[in-house]
This record gives sequence, C-alpha cells and structure tokens, in this order.
Amino acid sequence: MSEIILEAQNLRKEFGGLIAVDDVTLRVTRGSTHSIIGPNGAGKTTLFNLLTGKYSPTRGTVLFKGQDVTHAPVHRRPHMGMGRSFQITNIFPNLTVLENVRLAAQALSSDSFRFLRRAESFTNYVDRARAALALVGLESMAETPALVLPHGGKRKLELAILLAAEPELMLLDEPTAGMASEQVPELMRTIETIRQQGNKTIVLVEHNMNVVMNISDRITVMHIGRVLAEGTPAEISHNNSVQSVYLGELYDLPRAEN
Amino acid sequence: MKQLRSNWLYSLILVFLIAFPFIVGALTESSPTGVPRGDRMIMRGESVRWQAVLIEVFILSILAMSYNLMFGFTGVISFGHALFFGSAGYIIGLALEYTALDTGAALILGSLAAFVICGGVGLMIGFVSLRLRGVYFTIFTLAVAEMFYIFFSRFALTKAEDGFAVTELPVWLDPSQSRLTFYYIVLALFVLTFLFIRRLVNSPTGAVFKAIRENEDRALAIGYNTLRFKLMAIVIAGMLAALAGILQVLLNKKIGPEMLSVGYTIDPLLNTIIGGIGTFAGPVIGTAGLHLLDTFFRDATLVIGGSTIQVANVWGLVLGLIFILVVIVFPQGVVGTWQSWRLKRQIRHLESRMAVEPSPAPESG
Repeated sequence: MSEIILEAQNLRKEFGGLIAVDDVTLRVTRGSTHSIIGPNGAGKTTLFNLLTGKYSPTRGTVLFKGQDVTHAPVHRRPHMGMGRSFQITNIFPNLTVLENVRLAAQALSSDSFRFLRRAESFTNYVDRARAALALVGLESMAETPALVLPHGGKRKLELAILLAAEPELMLLDEPTAGMASEQVPELMRTIETIRQQGNKTIVLVEHNMNVVMNISDRITVMHIGRVLAEGTPAEISHNNSVQSVYLGELYDLPRAEN
Repeated sequence: MKQLRSNWLYSLILVFLIAFPFIVGALTESSPTGVPRGDRMIMRGESVRWQAVLIEVFILSILAMSYNLMFGFTGVISFGHALFFGSAGYIIGLALEYTALDTGAALILGSLAAFVICGGVGLMIGFVSLRLRGVYFTIFTLAVAEMFYIFFSRFALTKAEDGFAVTELPVWLDPSQSRLTFYYIVLALFVLTFLFIRRLVNSPTGAVFKAIRENEDRALAIGYNTLRFKLMAIVIAGMLAALAGILQVLLNKKIGPEMLSVGYTIDPLLNTIIGGIGTFAGPVIGTAGLHLLDTFFRDATLVIGGSTIQVANVWGLVLGLIFILVVIVFPQGVVGTWQSWRLKRQIRHLESRMAVEPSPAPESG
C-alpha cells in the first residue's frame, strides 16, 4: 500500500582504502519522516551525499520514484522533485533573503532564460518565495541581505530555499547544526508543519538523537558505515546495540514519547 | 525608488553628454563639426578634439561593461577579453579592406560576422574551459588570447605587426570627416549597452548570473545548470566586446595586433575594479576617470629638482600609484564602496529598529 519514494540498494562508497558506507539499503515511504542518525564517523554524511548525488557510489543504486538516479547530475534532481539542504549554511550571502528564495522558485522553469524582462515582473515566483518565507517565519526579513541574518535565521532561510522549489522529497542535512539548543524545538516544529501541510517526504540526517525522536516515523541508525538498526523511534530506543553504541559515546538515550 | 533616483541622475548626465560638443564649442569658440577646407572637413579645434576623447571613453566603457558582466555579475574571471575586442576589429577591417563588397554592405556584413564569430568563439572557449574552475579557467583564456595575438603579429596577409589602415568609410560615418555624427552614434550605442546590461542583470537570467557569482554549488543544488548560464554570460560579453572592437577600428581607421594584446584585457579589468566590480556605473566611472587623467597628464612635464620628467614616460608608474591609492581608499571600487557604505547605514538602521521591536509595549489597563 505505502509507496516507496526513495530507495538505496546496497550502497557502498570507498575513499581510497577507507570504506565510508558499506552495503547500506534504505527504503523511505512517501509521506513519512525518516531519520538517519549515528555517532560521528558513522557515514551519515557520506550516505547523504550519495543520496543527493554529490558523490557517486562505488557500488549500488539509488532509486527515486522507481527511477534510477544514482548518477543523475546534481542540478537535474530538483527538477525531478528532490530537494536538499546543507549542513553548513549555504546561501547567496549578498542577495536579499527574498531573492535567495525567489531564485529557488524560478529554478524549475524555463523563465530563467528570459533576459529582457525584469525578474520582479514574474510575480508568481515572488509570491511563492514569500509564502515559503512566511512558513519558516522570515517574511519580515525579506528585503535584508542574507548575510545579515543571525545563524538561526540562516538555517530557516536554508529551509525556505528548499521549500520554494516545492520538492516531493526533502533531504535535510543536520538542519539544526550550530543552532542554540533553545531554538531547536521551534525549527523541528516548522519541519513537522512543512511535512503535514505539503504532504512531503522528509529524510533527515542528524547527529543528535534527541532531536529526531519525536518527529520521525522511522529511524535508521548507522555505525561505522553500516546500518546498525532500523525501526520506529520506540523500537530504536529499546534496541540494545543502539544503546551500547550511543552509551559508548556518552550519549543519553531518550525514550520516545507516547 | 532607488532606481528612479539614479535614473534622474543618468538622464542629467545624458543631457550633458548630448550637449557636450556644443558646450566645449561655445567655451572655446571652436566649431563642433570641425573646419571646412574645400569640400572636406578638417578636424581641428577643441570641440572635435574633446569629442575624440569622449568617443574613446564610450568605447572603452562598453568594453569594461562587457567585462564586468562576466567578472562582476557572474563571477567568471577571464584574462582573454582582448580576444573578442581584437577579433571583431580584424573582422570589420578585413571586410572593409579585403573584400569586394561596397562599403555599406561591408560594414553591415562585417559587423554581423564580428558578432556571430565572437559569440561563437566565446561559446567554444566556454564549452572547452568553463568546466575548469577559478584560476585554471583564467589561465586558459589568457593562453587562447595570447595565441591569437602572436598569430596576428606574424600573419603576412594582415601586415603582421604593422596592421593595416581602414580607408574605405562612408563620409557620414568617418570620424575624420563627420566626427560629430560618429560621436552621437557611439554615444547612442554606449547608452544602449548600459541599458541592455542593466535590464539583463535585473532579469531572471541575471538573477541566476548573480547566484552563480555568490555560490555556484548552491545554484547547482537548487536546479540551475550553471554551465549553461556561464556560457550565456561569456557569449553576451563577447558580443558586446565585439561592438567595442568594431567602433575602435572605425575611430582609429586602423587595426593592428595590439588590439589583441593583453592590455585590452587588463584595462577593462582595472577600470572595473577601480569603478566598482558588479555595479552598473562602476566600469564607466573607472574608465572615464583613468582615461581623462591619462589625457590631461600625458603631455604634462614635471620638474623635480633640476631634472624634467615627461609624465608620458612614467605613465605606468603614475597609473600604478593611482591604482594602489584607489584600492586603499575604496576597497570595493568607487561605486562599490559608496553602495556598501549606504548598505551598512541601512543595516544599522534596521538593527536599531529590531532592537526596539521585540519587546511589545506593556498593555495598559
């Protein structure tokens, strides 16, 4: 019944002699929030880069809506419905907040090749950009240069850029990285709202287990390049091997609520 | 609002430039059209002399603006811009002097050929080399341009190092006959180039150019095939540089390999940096400033101690000092520094407003 929107089959990535990702298989159901967690060096970011096309896997395939996208170029993916965010804030610093988002809204149409009309006259992209900014709570900062935003604001802008392209699948790389801990719940609520309103699928890579427990439908735990465990938040929090990995790293293991 | 105010300023400058030959004429009691002798006009007098200076400023400004489109707005740094300028010069020169076409047809077809070929060369260079990033691309463009320079310095058909004169120009266009007409033609093309670039940069395409300059990886990640847009920028810049090259040949009535030399890459580069990278007026202000300084001081002599120094002999040194000074005083160019100063003021204003806003006024009652 539930459709698989993203599937990784036996992914393996070697860097010289180092095997960063080893035989990882992953199925993400449409409409779900699927988190990938693991301690430092578990291979989360490498896996993310394989899913988003930044790296080519040594072996294995990535399927999006049943289509082989393993080697699809980075710039084609948004056109298919895949969007990604970046762990290190990656925006257009000297453009306004609105322009950052408007560019993403415009990216999927051939209007980008129209060079004799003013960009603002294509109001549908401006409207979409403003809607995305409203969703993350940045609409009052629309005319500010992006570099002036505080760190938390830049993380929100990152989300708005992603939203404006209206992707079916959002791949988020540690969206809370570097944020003050009191701001984290707000951002996670925003992500949850986005998923519910837009009926989107979210793949979330996180370092911090606490962050994902409450919003995830499924969690994949990685450890030294391999999938250690996969299941619902409740299953994961009771899993012995997960506990030992995280306890080995001196993490508190939270209990999933409900 | 901002654009409206600068439009006012630009209109004012345009009116001044239109009236300029007559203003100089009136001030120096010289004829804006030159002095008639028999059925020819002799280009003598202050008005026509200053027209020539401004025509050069317009042409070099077109060149600098085209360079700025790649360098300042798209973030593509090429050291081969002279290739477009010089190639277009050779193409129009060859069309006028080496073909059996009559002058009018040679002008039109030569110009068209120059645009098409320069656009094509830009496309080819870009396609081969734009996959290279940063300094590798820059070195590649320099190598290609130098290759053409060396080729035309040795090519017997185009008189090698000497180049050749362009004699066949219709009287109405010939700057040594009808300079005033030529002045207005170049002024019109200069204004059109300025408006075209401003429109282009403010268009959806220009937005992508700026996105590539700001963060190419991010532009890729949101779905732009950045190679395609960089190719567009290089082709358009190449064609605008071709326009400058054509006008330069018509003005000097001569074409030689020096038009392909690295000097015609460095000059627009320096003019753009001094005026303000990635601004509309910057390249024009930089070009006008340096060119006018050059014109004023080139013939001057300095007496230091007992020795007399011809400024022309040390012009490179003077230019270097000016460049160092400008970079220290205006690190983002004249226009760029002015804009960022205004931006900073705006941000301070915004921050002080934000500092007040978050605490809502306590409700009375």
